Amino acid sequence: MKSKCFSAGLFAIACTLSLASYAQINSASFGALEARWLGPGSMSGRITAIQGVNNEPKTIFVGTAGGGIWKTTNAGASFKPIFDKYCQSIGDLAIDQNNPRTVYAGAGESNMRNSVSYGDGMYKTTDGGDNWTKIGLDSTEHIAKIAIHPKNGNVVFVAAPGPLFKDSPHRGLYRTNDGGKTWIKALFISDKAGASDVSIDPANPDIVYATTWEFRRLPYAFNSGGPGSGIWKSTDGGTTWKRIQNGLPAGMMGRVALTLAPSAPNNLVAIAELENNKTGLYISDNGGETWKAQSASMNVISRPFYFSTIVIDPKDPKRVYRPALSFSYSADGGYSFAEASNEGGWVHSDHHALWINPNNTNELWLGTDGGVYLSLDKGVTWNFRQNLPVGQFYHVAVDREKPYRIYGGLQDNGSWVAPSAAPGGVGNSLWQDIFGGDGFWVVPDLKDPSICYAESQGGNMGRVTIKTGKSVNIQPQQAAGEDKLRWNWNTPLYVGPNSKALYAGAQYLYKSTDQGRNWTRISPDLTTNNKVKQNQEGSGGLSADNTSAENHCTIFTIAESDLDANLIWAGTDDGNLQVTTDCGKTWTNVSDNYAKAGIPAQTWISSIQPGQHNKQVVYATFDNHMYGDNTSYIAKSEDLGKTWTLLKGGEALEGYAHKIKEDPSNKELLFLGTERGLFASINGGKEWFRMKNNVPWYGLVRDIEIHPATHDLVLATHGRGIIVVDDIRPIRNLTQENAAQPVVLFAMEPMELTSGQFGGSGFPGGGGWNGGNPPSIPAIQYYLKDRVMSGEVKVDILDKDGNLVQTIPGTKRKGINRVYWNQRMKPPKTAEGGVKMDFAAFTAPMVLPGNYTIKLMVSGKEYTQPLVLKHDDRSGMSLAERQAQYDASMKLYGMQESLAGFIDTINKTQTALKAGLEKSQNKKTKQMAQEYLDKSEALRAQLLATKNKSIFADEKRYKEELSELYAAIAGNEQAPSNLQMQRIDESAKQMVAFQNEWSKLQAKYQKPVMDALAKETGVAVAGK
Amino acid sequence: MRRILITGLILISGLGLFAQEKVEDVISKHITAIGGAENWKKVNTMVMEGTMNVMGQDVSLKISQVHNQGQRTNITIAGMENYVINTPTSGYNYYPIQGMQKPEPMTADDVKELLDDLDIQGVLLDYQAKGHKAELLGMEDIEGTECYKVKVTRKNSGEQTYFIDKSSYLIVRVSSKRKAMGQEMDVNIDCSDYKEVNGIKVPYSVGQGFGTMVVTSVKINEPVAPETFAGPK
Repeated sequence: MKSKCFSAGLFAIACTLSLASYAQINSASFGALEARWLGPGSMSGRITAIQGVNNEPKTIFVGTAGGGIWKTTNAGASFKPIFDKYCQSIGDLAIDQNNPRTVYAGAGESNMRNSVSYGDGMYKTTDGGDNWTKIGLDSTEHIAKIAIHPKNGNVVFVAAPGPLFKDSPHRGLYRTNDGGKTWIKALFISDKAGASDVSIDPANPDIVYATTWEFRRLPYAFNSGGPGSGIWKSTDGGTTWKRIQNGLPAGMMGRVALTLAPSAPNNLVAIAELENNKTGLYISDNGGETWKAQSASMNVISRPFYFSTIVIDPKDPKRVYRPALSFSYSADGGYSFAEASNEGGWVHSDHHALWINPNNTNELWLGTDGGVYLSLDKGVTWNFRQNLPVGQFYHVAVDREKPYRIYGGLQDNGSWVAPSAAPGGVGNSLWQDIFGGDGFWVVPDLKDPSICYAESQGGNMGRVTIKTGKSVNIQPQQAAGEDKLRWNWNTPLYVGPNSKALYAGAQYLYKSTDQGRNWTRISPDLTTNNKVKQNQEGSGGLSADNTSAENHCTIFTIAESDLDANLIWAGTDDGNLQVTTDCGKTWTNVSDNYAKAGIPAQTWISSIQPGQHNKQVVYATFDNHMYGDNTSYIAKSEDLGKTWTLLKGGEALEGYAHKIKEDPSNKELLFLGTERGLFASINGGKEWFRMKNNVPWYGLVRDIEIHPATHDLVLATHGRGIIVVDDIRPIRNLTQENAAQPVVLFAMEPMELTSGQFGGSGFPGGGGWNGGNPPSIPAIQYYLKDRVMSGEVKVDILDKDGNLVQTIPGTKRKGINRVYWNQRMKPPKTAEGGVKMDFAAFTAPMVLPGNYTIKLMVSGKEYTQPLVLKHDDRSGMSLAERQAQYDASMKLYGMQESLAGFIDTINKTQTALKAGLEKSQNKKTKQMAQEYLDKSEALRAQLLATKNKSIFADEKRYKEELSELYAAIAGNEQAPSNLQMQRIDESAKQMVAFQNEWSKLQAKYQKPVMDALAKETGVAVAGK
Repeated sequence: MRRILITGLILISGLGLFAQEKVEDVISKHITAIGGAENWKKVNTMVMEGTMNVMGQDVSLKISQVHNQGQRTNITIAGMENYVINTPTSGYNYYPIQGMQKPEPMTADDVKELLDDLDIQGVLLDYQAKGHKAELLGMEDIEGTECYKVKVTRKNSGEQTYFIDKSSYLIVRVSSKRKAMGQEMDVNIDCSDYKEVNGIKVPYSVGQGFGTMVVTSVKINEPVAPETFAGPK
């Protein structure tokens, strides 16, 4: 049998040396704790690239800002992530249309906003995305465009703007002639200016157009434009280049989006960002030799650094699309533009990608800051795809409700709340939008579950009544004699775990004890107040761009000690880390102290975790990426910030650090979120390992919470929505001592009897994405040091007397394994030979409260743990009712099994009779045997459905009635009704009647018929 | 951290080793690990019986195979007999449990998709001679176990990826592309509990998402009646 194992049948049924001591515990140890992706899909995230397969246009690849690459093979009915082991920030995608299983992906988005992530070069797949190979350009950080030679898929151009926050020699236009094995820098301008666009003339592929762009971002300013920007043309396949700017206004240039008309490739369209308000759309009909100004409407010229997409219809050179702030289209080559309609639904603003099906140019796929849209009428109206959970959360919070609610704010897409679990799973329709603008911190009031606090960019904050979604503004105001308040783009809004008070930070720290109605300033200016960093009105470069994204010298993070409400930490975006031990009367800046540990000055203090077990302890993360440094800086102090130790051992950390979280129960267990993944440490940060348990390996993990009651790890990802790892206690409990054992069966906490948390109709409302539910019943958990390749693994449940209640097949993975017992016995044996599906065969009585034993068998060895099952009146019935349900279920269980035995006897008798009838020649014997057979069949046909007509033909006989009664009682969490009890009695009487009838038949026929047959045929006959 | 990375020294030699490993070597070592080509080439029939626990109910399974001629899977659920038959030229599904009144023929595409499954000696044995292509894609961690990742493009029935345990060279997982209801989907089959039968090693635990078949008996080269693979009369 070997590798292919088994057949289609079953498929169809369900359709470093120091590391040595810690090497046993790593991500693989916890692989069974698979994360749930909650989404939402109803509010998706920024899409950066869309490419379809021309000759199979139902197959489309979608690149995202922070959620990797997704693929649909059914025109968007469903999408699957295909890049979860790699960098999640995607700049561009390109399909070799001559061999469409070959796809190139450029990592590192190039929509150069303040929150943009960075990449690590080029990837290639040759099997449609199943497997990817990294093929170089690792240090480019941002890739704007990939262009494949129309006839030779090994020739590829890559436009790399290069790093956003520093000078770099790794910018420019790259070319490979060998499918990515080697790269040539085809066009390099300077360390400050990279390539931002490239197009190849499909008719004459030696003609290549490119644009270059000089730009730079600082934490407090952005500049687009400089002498390095320009439009370029090569006529020798990218070897030599000349500027082509005749006809364009003189002066400095910024970012230029350029494209050509595929059906008339001498026709070019460029949106050029230009000095002196000359930004606009320019066209050329001679391959760029001369240019002429066309539209400069608002959508055409809006935010050129951010909206760099311009597309011409594959067949019609006059049909020009400008996806930007809104969606506009031109039928006259770019002279005039009309806007898309909102009929049938709003199309999200802020567009970055457009693919037009070349076989049907009415069909357009649009990538926006809120997800993917499909138009079937050339962009006039749009339909949203609700099944791409790629939202970009900044923060996450949880409340204490059951099930608890999850709160978070999305880049560009407001503030949201959803339950962590719900009937039918956490679907799109359960996500409630509660605040507008860009969302960041959304925090529940820990005393009043009807209230939460939310904000939009630049510190515009409100108190929200969750039920109604109504909010009131609570933003602290400047007082007399104070500086103008400076609010970060991502202003900290925080509820103290100890005081339950609300905090907000400008350059001053504010505290409110009355839900934000009134505020007390509890600090002086905690920042450096460096005036050089406060000139945001001059930000943007050639196009002014001041949206609060560059606000600086502000408080960025606030943390109150769980152990002492007067112990408060505040971190700023300009390097100050301040602490007060007297609730703000006095503050100490410890920034000089952390710098001694090797952390650069001026970093953003991205998170602070006061020790939950020792108030002298504090952890912090430091983000220096806006100074061109992506290092993960995490440090710990055990003396309130006087001295610091960098935590960097173990598996190499990657990505600038966003969040450090200490486990509330196990002080050695830490979680770390960076721009490149989720990491954990089980030894207080001495060694780290990357978590891969259904968490995208390089996910942008911005925030982390651990729920105090459910022990769930809740992640805010900037590109994959909310991710939950349900119940992380196995991570807490897997000690080094345990990990050294070959097998460990973990102790179980007492379990409540339940048939599950939720019901549901099975008809999903809302459609789109569903994040599922946590398991309703706690898992039985065991640890295997190595995968079991030889021998069986199973779990037996034994009652207090040692009787076997249920056997559950065990999983065999290395590390933690989880199996689930449904708190039920085995289903009854049911009668064979029926023609209807018998649901009783899958329904087992729930067991009673009491003491049980879990027996784990691994390759013949036994491991046991006691298990206590408890009754809880909140289950919907009393203990007496539970006992009544159990008794009735067991009575019917016994009747099911006796019926099975009864029918089995008839079946065997009939088999013997049929065999005898075939052989017998004696007329009298045959007649008597036939009579016996007919009468037994008449009885059998009363006992169970025997006519195989249709699943819609409701043939019910005794067995079906009994099954129905049994399933109704055993399957329900309530006591049986009076009428159900009467039916049990009636059924028992009927059973006796049937058995009497059988006894009479047997008395009349069994001995004479069987003796005659045996005598004649010499065959001993079975049957009683 | 993979075990191979326990020390820097092992890291270096480990990578060196991998660089030299060729797909044919990995497959050859795998064939040796499961009993060797000679023993496998003697396998003409195989009948495997076992059970699968589905919602507490034991489902019994019987898979009867004749090399390159046919296979039949009988599935008995709650007293109802279901089966799937496929041969090089035809195939039938019969699931009364789903309300089917009679066996239904498979589509030609389905028959073709199962064609290479009829090779009970396995796709990897003499894969080149059989017209399959194999490629070593590197190492991959399957549920904590370091495996060689071997992608096989089969002659008739689409791609499969074999994850072969780096230490035992036994297959841990087979991932197949299947077409179902017009959609391509990945189906993973996890293999463990290998036992020797007539000189070859066979997994006695075969998991497939919704359940694991625990094999109770494997019979090699015992006669399988030709009518086993006959369709409805």
